[in-house]
Amino acid sequence: MERELQILWAAIVAYVLGGVLAIFGVALGRRQGRFVLGLLLAGMALHTASLALRWQRLEHGPFITLFEILSSNVWSLMLVFLVAYWRIPKIRPSAAVVMPVLFVLMGWLMLAHPGEGHFPPTYRTPWLFIHIGMAKVFLGATLVALGIAGIVLLRRFGIAKQRFATLPDDRRLDELAYRFMALALVFDTLMLITGAIWAQDAWGRYWAWDPLETWSFVTWLLLAFAIHLRLTYRPQPVRNAWMIVAVFVLAFLTFFGVPFVSESPHKGAV
Amino acid sequence: MIESAPGQSLASGGSTPPVFLRGATWLGSLKLTLALLVLLVPAIVLAYNSEAWRSWPLAVPLTGLALNLLAALASNPAFRRQTALIVFHLALVALLLLIAAGRVSYLKGTLEVTEGAWFEGGALTSTDAARWHVGDLDQVRFTNLGFTIDYAPGIRRDTTRNRVGWIDESGRMREATVGDQYPLVLEGYRFYTSFNKGFAPTFTFTPAGGQAILGAVHLPSYPIHEYEQTREWSLPGTRRTLWILLDFDETILDPAQPSAFRVPSDFRVIVRDDAERWELRPGESIDLPEGRLELVGLRTWMGYNVFYDWTLPWLAATAALAVISLGWHFATKFRRKAWDA
Repeated sequence: MERELQILWAAIVAYVLGGVLAIFGVALGRRQGRFVLGLLLAGMALHTASLALRWQRLEHGPFITLFEILSSNVWSLMLVFLVAYWRIPKIRPSAAVVMPVLFVLMGWLMLAHPGEGHFPPTYRTPWLFIHIGMAKVFLGATLVALGIAGIVLLRRFGIAKQRFATLPDDRRLDELAYRFMALALVFDTLMLITGAIWAQDAWGRYWAWDPLETWSFVTWLLLAFAIHLRLTYRPQPVRNAWMIVAVFVLAFLTFFGVPFVSESPHKGAV
Repeated sequence: MIESAPGQSLASGGSTPPVFLRGATWLGSLKLTLALLVLLVPAIVLAYNSEAWRSWPLAVPLTGLALNLLAALASNPAFRRQTALIVFHLALVALLLLIAAGRVSYLKGTLEVTEGAWFEGGALTSTDAARWHVGDLDQVRFTNLGFTIDYAPGIRRDTTRNRVGWIDESGRMREATVGDQYPLVLEGYRFYTSFNKGFAPTFTFTPAGGQAILGAVHLPSYPIHEYEQTREWSLPGTRRTLWILLDFDETILDPAQPSAFRVPSDFRVIVRDDAERWELRPGESIDLPEGRLELVGLRTWMGYNVFYDWTLPWLAATAALAVISLGWHFATKFRRKAWDA
């Protein structure tokens, strides 16, 4: 286990260096996109190796303990963000918003006990990967939208004017954030559907109003509300940005808050 | 996600639209959609906190949303032009109708079946059936052919493999292994193994001058009630109630290492009737005023959860249609302009 932890800490060091560089790059108005990308990719490679070693040792994926759930979510969120970072260079400064969110998860991960947990028999199904995969893409898309919304808000508060001046205007960023919110809605819907199918098999019912199901549904509703609100009133980008922040906060609390305070069968099954 | 410009008149033509069209425009407005979505939140809070509040509080805003959608379809030409979006929203309405249909026709219940015995339909330990349940549980028959359950160290339940048998439409005996997330599905009823299972001392009781009757006593679930392996049992066809206790010294489930659920190899069954007490091993019998009671052996019993909802495949298909059409709508919409433009 020690080797996988050492590799994980190395990955976190690379992530932190990349994140700090991104934040300073934005604050000082410098373009450091390639260095940041290199460090984050290095962190991703190390993190993947650490997860693979653990998977091989325990013969199951990182889905059980708090440590595993945090680690796999840092990995998946980073992956989604890196794809956006690579494919849409104009939003690279959003790393200054996204990375602090990931630092919170990394800090929590470092405090979590890396011990192993019992892999329940109901987890031996392809639906585990499908349901959790959908959930991770959903949260990843919401995180990218948050990063873009963060640029709009920071610009509003006059922060890092120099660096943000080179980015597309608020309307264009708002449109891009909306696309990621739409993507989030599709994958959130998929997450709910696949979760219901799995719950029917695992627990003999597709919906039971357990805390995680309920909060996931409320998150889906808020996401739908945010998209309808945008279409109804065409609010200013700043207001849309605040709405995206609200959706992300609720999604984050649903993912990382509810499973660890509830004693329901859904506990920890993010 | 009905798209129209803010304040846009949804009725065509320059003159004042008729009253019914103005009503439809109001009923189909996105502002009303937003209000109803907000109204849904307290309904969800009520549903989450109390089972008694899972019908009408939810039905009101959901019915409102369905009417809102139908009115939008009637009054909003911009909406009608977006086929994928219409399919998505109609699929959501269909989901609501299917869920409602499932709510008024479902059946949930529990049952216990002794190893080697048949579930003969109808006799459930507990039942929660909706008013218009239309299934035919009386026709369902299956037999429990025994099970194995692995336990990880710390007595953590692992895989359950339960052999079951039933007679198919052609009259042939069929067998399968079910357990955990793999239910036995017969006549639309889904039988899931549960954590509830245990030991069943099996007796034959031969009344004086009568035929022998085979009976099993389902002792409390094991290992949850490891130290309470006792049960009162009414002797078949009599008013006599016996107290039955299973006694064994073996460690069945070892907390220190992987193990499996099994019946103890060395055991005795203690039978008590008021002041009298007997210890029986397999093959031994006692004579009671009503007849002879013989301990045949020790079997297991499995507890099952049964669930019936005829809407399940339709729900899955409708949900798939909803998400495909939603994805199709956004894909079409976003294809017009590159993401990094």
